[in-house]
Amino acid sequence: MSVSIRRATGSVAKYAVLILVLAAYLLPFVLVLLNSLKTDPEVVASPLAWPSVLRFDNYVSAFEKMRFMSAIGNSFLITLLSVCLISLLSAMCAYFLVRNKSRFSTALYLVMVAAMIIPFQAIMIPLLKVYGAIGMLNSPWSLIFMYIGFGAPFAVFLFHGFIKGISLELEEAATIDGCGRYGVFFKVVLPLLQPVVMTVVILDALWIWNDYLLPSLVLMAKQHRTLPLSTFYFFSTYTVNYGRLLASLIMTVIPVIVLYLFSQRFIIKGITAGAIK
Amino acid sequence: MRASRVLTLVVSLVLASGAAFADKVSITLLNTKGEIQAPLESAAAAFNAENPGITLEIQPVQVGQSPFQVISSLYAAGNAPALYMGDANDMMQFSDKFANLKGEKWIKDSTDNFEQVTTISGAVIGFPLTVEGYGMIYNKAVLAKAGVDPAKIHATKDLEAAFKKVEASGAGALVIAPMDWSLGSHFIGISYSLAAKNQTGLMKLVDDLKAGKVELSKQKPFVGLLDTFDVMKQHNVRKADALAVTYDDCPALIGPGKVGFYFQGNWTWPQVSGFATDQDGFGFIPVPVSNVSSDKGNNGIPVGITKYIAIDKTQNSAAQQAAAKKFLEWLVYSKSGQSALVNDCNIIPAFKNITLQPKDPLAKSIRQYMSKDATLFWVNMPAPDHWSKVGASMQKYLVDKIDRAGLYKEIQDYWKALK
Amino acid sequence: MQYRHGAGRKIGTFMMFAGPATLVFAVVMVLPFLYGILLTFTDWDGKAVQLSFVGLANYATVFGDAAFWSSMLLTLRFAAFTVVLTNVVAFLLAFALSSGLKGSSFFRAGFFTPNLIGGIVLGFVWQFVFSRVLPVLGKLIGSGALSTSWLGDPGRAFWAMVIVTVWQYSGYMMVIYIAGLTSVPPELLEAASIEGAGGWAKLRRIILPLLVPSIIICVFLTIQRSFMVYDLNLALTGGGPYKSTVLVSMNVYQTAFLSQQYGPGQAQAFFLFLIVAAVSIAQVYFGKKREVEL
Repeated sequence: MSVSIRRATGSVAKYAVLILVLAAYLLPFVLVLLNSLKTDPEVVASPLAWPSVLRFDNYVSAFEKMRFMSAIGNSFLITLLSVCLISLLSAMCAYFLVRNKSRFSTALYLVMVAAMIIPFQAIMIPLLKVYGAIGMLNSPWSLIFMYIGFGAPFAVFLFHGFIKGISLELEEAATIDGCGRYGVFFKVVLPLLQPVVMTVVILDALWIWNDYLLPSLVLMAKQHRTLPLSTFYFFSTYTVNYGRLLASLIMTVIPVIVLYLFSQRFIIKGITAGAIK
Repeated sequence: MRASRVLTLVVSLVLASGAAFADKVSITLLNTKGEIQAPLESAAAAFNAENPGITLEIQPVQVGQSPFQVISSLYAAGNAPALYMGDANDMMQFSDKFANLKGEKWIKDSTDNFEQVTTISGAVIGFPLTVEGYGMIYNKAVLAKAGVDPAKIHATKDLEAAFKKVEASGAGALVIAPMDWSLGSHFIGISYSLAAKNQTGLMKLVDDLKAGKVELSKQKPFVGLLDTFDVMKQHNVRKADALAVTYDDCPALIGPGKVGFYFQGNWTWPQVSGFATDQDGFGFIPVPVSNVSSDKGNNGIPVGITKYIAIDKTQNSAAQQAAAKKFLEWLVYSKSGQSALVNDCNIIPAFKNITLQPKDPLAKSIRQYMSKDATLFWVNMPAPDHWSKVGASMQKYLVDKIDRAGLYKEIQDYWKALK
Repeated sequence: MQYRHGAGRKIGTFMMFAGPATLVFAVVMVLPFLYGILLTFTDWDGKAVQLSFVGLANYATVFGDAAFWSSMLLTLRFAAFTVVLTNVVAFLLAFALSSGLKGSSFFRAGFFTPNLIGGIVLGFVWQFVFSRVLPVLGKLIGSGALSTSWLGDPGRAFWAMVIVTVWQYSGYMMVIYIAGLTSVPPELLEAASIEGAGGWAKLRRIILPLLVPSIIICVFLTIQRSFMVYDLNLALTGGGPYKSTVLVSMNVYQTAFLSQQYGPGQAQAFFLFLIVAAVSIAQVYFGKKREVEL
């Protein structure tokens, strides 16, 4: 067999395997989508079957019950603000830590990295006690504040590694040109940080958008509910409204998928850049 | 002159509306009964419409959150709801935060002796919201076809015979719901109820269990009930994968008559109704605990107040507390309130003055037992994780992972480990 | 910034640049963490206003708590399988997709999608699949193992959790591995081919050593996530059947909020932190030793 034919069959085999694996990966989504178009009894009775009738009333009902527009608005606002603040503040912090070598800087950096290991459960109870006592619970602003605190360590870690790789000469040149500290940072360094910023933005956006536990503890009022919280409207004490639940899951996932399809290249690039530095 | 009259009118209108706005009180009810969230919200809307100075909002508990965690967080946050719906233990736990409802109108109209459970040092802290009961639900059509008379089942051997007849007629005997709360709280609760007989007895039993003084293998109610459970296990239509059965699978079996029996409470009616071919064809029989037909356990089902509502006095103003009290009164005395309670939320009310009653067959069955005074004392387990831990032990027993002696030991060890 | 300036300026710079992030971090993470440690020495029960010190009593409780240690052991077992399987699958996928196959970016996008959904939603989706879909499929194809819900017995429920976790994270790790793989200089590989090295040798001798930084990161991240898993645990198995799949984070939550023992719960959380920290640090340390400089 000639090399090219061997290569071709090898490729075909590879494709076949990859497609199979991909199908296995995407199967749950497909199932959720299919079953969201059925009535509850139908979901229970025949989950694998194609819907007998394509019904969209689950979506309509879920949309109302979830207060979808309010929830997605809350999710969007909280995610956007948190992500912007996390990236900006962490970038600035990491920059300082890299460029101001001192025992303090090293110590602070290590503390932050160590903090990445702290399980949320370890802080959950005291966090609630402390913030409850000062009346800071039940507000989206407190939630954003907490996300900054939780998101800073990992972001600082990523920025730190990347900034180390930025040549000092660029900054020195800018200084010579008359830039102050802030000028150097905002005009020279920050633009260079773009890949890492993208990474941080995307990773944190995914995390915050989908976060359930912290909002469930901090946001109590109906009008503040984020998307994951409103999905759980369909779980009663004992039972599940399958049709509407699955519809709500699809509705929660669609914004993320749309965002992902648009920014896919950046996501991949971002993770890549952040990882190898 | 006319101008000044008009002016007076306008000013008084403004003052009046100002007063009305000033009176707008905002209160929250923390709802820990997920299945009535929607009807409660409509009830709140109706109440708000009838009481323009009050805005009542219903707050649900999220999945995965324990009600205890939510209410603790709310208190810690300074955000405690005006109305808190909890079970008897919750009432006891937070009793120092709740207002004394002693003078309320509805106390004299309440059924049951709920005061025994929610009176602390003379203060009444709980408004009884729901009367619920559980037992062995049976499908009338299936039993009729099999030639079984449910009224004649008063012993374990009667139940076994009934199972066999039902199986002979082509249907499954029963399905066991394997959830930890069902087995570890309701089912085994029957034994506790018969062993303790009342609240005082329960506290003593619990103390003895904690001290390790109780040998369950010598306690007739436990032995007898678990003997019945053995029979149930044998004839469980889902014996092969007993633990994979979900709460939703069971109504799909009992409703259309695929099985004849199902142990559960009347709260499951909405699900069963969705599958039932005969909307009136169900009832309760007691789960037999012995072969002596006259035994109390063979003739009554546990019925009790499962949820109370308390009014917070520590973080809600006097106006808010008054508004909260108004809501409770509205539920008991106003037509719209009663209708919301009974018709929409499908609740059996705990008040004598409410003539409206749920029309579903399970509720009717419960009321029959109540009228014959054939009810067992409802056990409120004074241990918050009993249902979860002993429930897990019951599940192991269900699939024969442990034997009877093992089950007794696990339950006894559970109590001994509690402080 | 190599300026000569006084301490005042330095502090000013610190406050402006690092101040906000550090402050929020301190107040949101450090303070509660330290306060949490303090609480483990008291008898706080979640709602009392008065606290009294009980010394090491809560830690003693945790030491003697069989359920905690068995959940810790279970979590270690879970983490071991998850970390290995996730990284192996991720690596294989990355390897397959970095060989210049047409449409790799399409596949890459596809494999990454599980990451887009949050843990709790993911858990419920898979719970639906395991408890409702697979049994139907199993009966259709006559597979005994599949016809009953995997969530009904401890062994298979454990594997269900492993499978779902691997499914969720392999796409993410795959991306990191792809980055690592594409940064392997092709000249090195060509030189090796010329010298007669086969695919396997190239993999072992060149690619894997150069991939060590990626491996360190991926292993670090997967260890983190497997130890702290809660949402998925809750949604998929709920700890069942009969508490056989209660991983350690869930144990902490249940001790504190279900059994209402806050002191022991917090102490357990602290133990968890110590163990995860030890494992992660060890892993990074030993990993760094194997790093190869180009």
